Amino acid sequence: MSVTQKEIKTLARLSRLEFSDGEIEKFAPEFEEIIEFANKINEQVEGDTGSIREVVSRTVKWEDLREDEVKESLPNEKITSNVQAEGGYFPVRRVVK
Amino acid sequence: MKYRLVSGLETHVELATATKIFCGCTTAFGGSPNTHCCPVCTGQPGALPVLNKKVVEYAIRAGLATHCTINTTTHLDRKNYCYPDLPKAYQISQFDKPLCEHGYVELESGKRIGITRIHIEEDAGKLVHESGFTYVDYNRGGVPLIEIVSEPDISSPEEAKEYVEKLQLIMRYIGVSDCKMQEGSMRCDVNISVMPEGATEFGTRTEIKNMNSISYIEKAMAYEYERQIEVIEGGGKIVQATLRYDEHTGETSVMRTKEDAQDYRYFPEPDILTVVIPESKVEEIKNSLPELPTDKLHRYIDELKINPATAKLLYKYKRVCDFAERAFALGAGVKNTVNLIVGTLYSKLETEEDKEKFVLPVSADEMAALVKLVDDGKINITLAQKTLSAMAEEGKPVSAYIKPEDIAGMDDGELESICRQAVEANAGAVADFKAGKEKAIFALYGFVKKATQGKADIKKADEIIKKLILG
Ligand SMILES: [Zn+2]
Repeated sequence: MSVTQKEIKTLARLSRLEFSDGEIEKFAPEFEEIIEFANKINEQVEGDTGSIREVVSRTVKWEDLREDEVKESLPNEKITSNVQAEGGYFPVRRVVK
Repeated sequence: MKYRLVSGLETHVELATATKIFCGCTTAFGGSPNTHCCPVCTGQPGALPVLNKKVVEYAIRAGLATHCTINTTTHLDRKNYCYPDLPKAYQISQFDKPLCEHGYVELESGKRIGITRIHIEEDAGKLVHESGFTYVDYNRGGVPLIEIVSEPDISSPEEAKEYVEKLQLIMRYIGVSDCKMQEGSMRCDVNISVMPEGATEFGTRTEIKNMNSISYIEKAMAYEYERQIEVIEGGGKIVQATLRYDEHTGETSVMRTKEDAQDYRYFPEPDILTVVIPESKVEEIKNSLPELPTDKLHRYIDELKINPATAKLLYKYKRVCDFAERAFALGAGVKNTVNLIVGTLYSKLETEEDKEKFVLPVSADEMAALVKLVDDGKINITLAQKTLSAMAEEGKPVSAYIKPEDIAGMDDGELESICRQAVEANAGAVADFKAGKEKAIFALYGFVKKATQGKADIKKADEIIKKLILG
């Protein structure tokens, strides 16, 4: 699994992080190491993602699904407490031209 | 060269549950921004989704009503993409094991539009773009949707229109959605390609996103069909792309091409366990389905002998049908009931929505009482129309307008004596009629109507008058 500098740049943009070219150059191999490590899980199931499905495919009974009953939502101040809300909205950088 | 249009639709239908798909927040339309939200539907770390039973039930209803098979073991998947309308940066949807598969919707011609699949998923939040910023409201985020994917069986804008209308009608009948396109509770993505007549391979397709009106779907399809032919005839190639339709110019434009298509990295949703639906539950839902629109239309025409044009005016509105059928059950004759509904009540219900809601202060009992008076020849249809019109406006019972003595007084003997007076008082018209001027008899009808204040059954009067004149 090789990680390109372009992918690092995309990730950085999506995460709203800024890095210098030097940093990005350094990150690429570091990212690769991290992904290698995570890939060990795949090795355990010998590339057969079907058995991952087995692991997660415990089932829920019909009776245990949630009944359609309204619960109180959180107040707007609470929902937006981590941002500077405007008129109750979450403001973000404009996403369309 | 002649080209065939090949089209399939992906239709999103918002389900009419009280709560969202994975949390207890209300699905009510509107509301101040970000007030129908909780940690689950805003994707806070550690919050766990719990699937709403009714969502599964409604999706199965939709599947059964469109002749799908139901996958009783079904799971959800994560569809990953990064956009501010998705607080978790993924949408919980279904990828390889949709709840319903292999169904169809039948058009009036008998042609069937195949349904590939119906799956459940969560809606995204709403974005408002204003002065350099985008504002996000997550009230709609997590509202349950079903996505109904059709086979590429649609071959004209007219067929697309009929298919969407049929879907709308079915979903309303079975009560899973109000399917209001203008409020966004039903929206369509339209896939289109063209292929030369006789060709065996599909052409490259484009997809027009997020259509929220049937007439725009028709227009956009017609435009895109012509555009693709023009490109091909000009020696060009169709580029696989996602398009947007501009309702003002009536043209499509490219949003993104295949090159920037995203890899959604679907994988099984680990926060929600695989759902196992008991066969008995599916059976129970099947048994609870009402008569479906197409079946009702056929029954109205074939068994109740309602003329097709009138039957079509009725079956589109389930509440109207329920009302009519209650009146039938109370002994009201079919013909007079439906004529009074379509002729008189519909004039009080101007818009589609009015007819859909069918809120009038006339009960089925009162309707039946009125119709029976007409059926029995106690009052004529004109008086019935006038009475029903007043009932619909004032909400009073039949007895407020038609007194027992009005009806009792109109026995055959009295009608005959009035007819006799009519003949005597209109010697000129009688002579004209005898001389072959058939229309002259209207003068006598007029006399009878006036003398009985519109209560007389003109058909009966006609018989009596003719007997008196012609012997
Ligand atoms: Zn919520």
